[in-house]
Amino acid sequence: MKLKRRDFFTMAGTVGLAGYAAWDTHKAAPPKRPGTSAVAVMKAASYTVDLAGKITAGIRACGLEVRGQRVLLKPNLVEFDPNTCINTNVAVIAAAYEAFLKLGAADVQIGEGPGHRRDTIALAELARYRGELEKFDSIFVDLNRDDVSPVMNFSDRDRIYLPNTALRADLVVSLAKMKTHHWAGATLSMKNFFGLVPGAVYGWPKNELHQVGIPESIVELTRIFHRSFAIVDGIMGMEGNGPIQGTPKQAGVLVMGSDLPAVDATCCRIMGIDPNKVEYLQMASEKLGITEEARIEQRGEKLAGLRTDFQLVKQFSGLRLA
Amino acid sequence: MAGSYLGTRLNALRKAQNLDGGWPYFAGKQSWLEPTLYAALALHGEPEADMAWALVSSWQQKDGGWRPSAEVGFPHATTALAVTVAAARGEFGSPFQNGVHWLLSAVGAEAQLYRRAILAVGSAFGLVEDQRDYSLKGWPWKLDTASWVEPTSHALVALKKAAPKIPSKDLRERVRLGEEMLLNVRCTDGGWNYGNRTARGDELVSYPETTGIALVGLQGHAELGPVLDLAGKMLRETASPMARAWLTIAMQVNGIFVEPKDTKVSADVLITALEALGATDGNHALLKVAA
Repeated sequence: MKLKRRDFFTMAGTVGLAGYAAWDTHKAAPPKRPGTSAVAVMKAASYTVDLAGKITAGIRACGLEVRGQRVLLKPNLVEFDPNTCINTNVAVIAAAYEAFLKLGAADVQIGEGPGHRRDTIALAELARYRGELEKFDSIFVDLNRDDVSPVMNFSDRDRIYLPNTALRADLVVSLAKMKTHHWAGATLSMKNFFGLVPGAVYGWPKNELHQVGIPESIVELTRIFHRSFAIVDGIMGMEGNGPIQGTPKQAGVLVMGSDLPAVDATCCRIMGIDPNKVEYLQMASEKLGITEEARIEQRGEKLAGLRTDFQLVKQFSGLRLA
Repeated sequence: MAGSYLGTRLNALRKAQNLDGGWPYFAGKQSWLEPTLYAALALHGEPEADMAWALVSSWQQKDGGWRPSAEVGFPHATTALAVTVAAARGEFGSPFQNGVHWLLSAVGAEAQLYRRAILAVGSAFGLVEDQRDYSLKGWPWKLDTASWVEPTSHALVALKKAAPKIPSKDLRERVRLGEEMLLNVRCTDGGWNYGNRTARGDELVSYPETTGIALVGLQGHAELGPVLDLAGKMLRETASPMARAWLTIAMQVNGIFVEPKDTKVSADVLITALEALGATDGNHALLKVAA
């Protein structure tokens, strides 16, 4: 079997890390976080059902209080291909916008910084965001070209520059898409935070995050944006060679919660992926959230019966949930 | 002129200029190097461009590279644009010279010796498969990251403009390698995206905006005919004002007359500056390099 260049570096890194972990045994397992985390799973067969009602119910089920807060909705807007479903569906964004305002948020903005495309607004137009979201031009921020401020300590870097709109929000809502990912295994609410990193500083693509390490960057961004909530659009997800070239896969759910690792672990279980084998979830588990199934309080639908295996690229076939 | 395609855009740029002399990406925000330099090119020869250059000069670092904004503390790919603007202004002193030297020393992380050694060992054992030729040095957005199409293209314009003033072998070789790198990462459909032809074995498509940018970097290169046809098709079909602006500039600097589509002036300052540059009576010639 031949490996791609990135796989080769990953493999070399994994071997090195395994050796280090064996030597540095006291770092093997972080202490357990106390308590449990709530994750709400709402069934939604299509984008035409009452999504605002379902999101409102999910937010309430998770006990999130948003009254008076400045909320930033961060959808997953990557590229556009009319033949597949790369981006968070506009109906989910519109519903979340309505729900947060209805629940008393002082201000709700929408922001995204796509990793490959420079004309964010044109991309938002193709994805129907501009046409279907009321007041789009006054509430949407291109996070790639927002004003920035430094945040100290980001993995092995002394700082990272991040958009002021996101740093000044009281709550960042990761409106992610449920997709497989050809480098990370799965892209859900935590990986979606890559779009918070400004292209004007780090470029298109944001290769700095790959140099730091994809799992490390996912975990660090989740740590920095800890005042967050996740709403994962799994109504129609993507399987195979995601996050762009995969094929649509219906899971028929919205998954929500304030503990992003718990939300992503739940999504993985729905997708037939073992969250304990997803590197960034292993790293985040206990440090940033709970991924252990027994300690995730399921609200809304029960997980049993919701599992629908997402096809995995061969490099990630080992992630399949038993 | 005031109500013309170009005039309305230049007026919008004048109104959007910040008090520090720079331009933001969107009115009322902080100044950034990228929109400032494109606006300065669009308004070349006017007092606003001189004010901008005074600010830009203060953002050059000791190593010769330029920071992308006052807030960001490291040198950036936009250094290439600063060198191009310096050349356009006829300022060939130490800021220009130091900028050129920074560009000559900047290289994508994939070209670093230890990474190439690891890849060579991997290849020798049949463990690595990659279509990209890592001996071809391009430019990164930020040092210690990989090289990509857009920074490579801008660096090529800057170095081609610098060549008559700094006739070094190193410079000519970096231009050759940079052009080869762009051709090496070209998509199967004939255009360019950010710089990857495939992902997990599946072919990736090109984008109109990066195809336009690559064509500006490769101007004067042989064999561009079919790509210019593709660029013309992209120009007719794309919904992106930024892509239209870049494709228009690419056509103009490659000697193809294009009448830009008259649309409303964008709230996006960068797009407005690029549209002004690409106007038939705009300053696109400042991005043109000698054949």
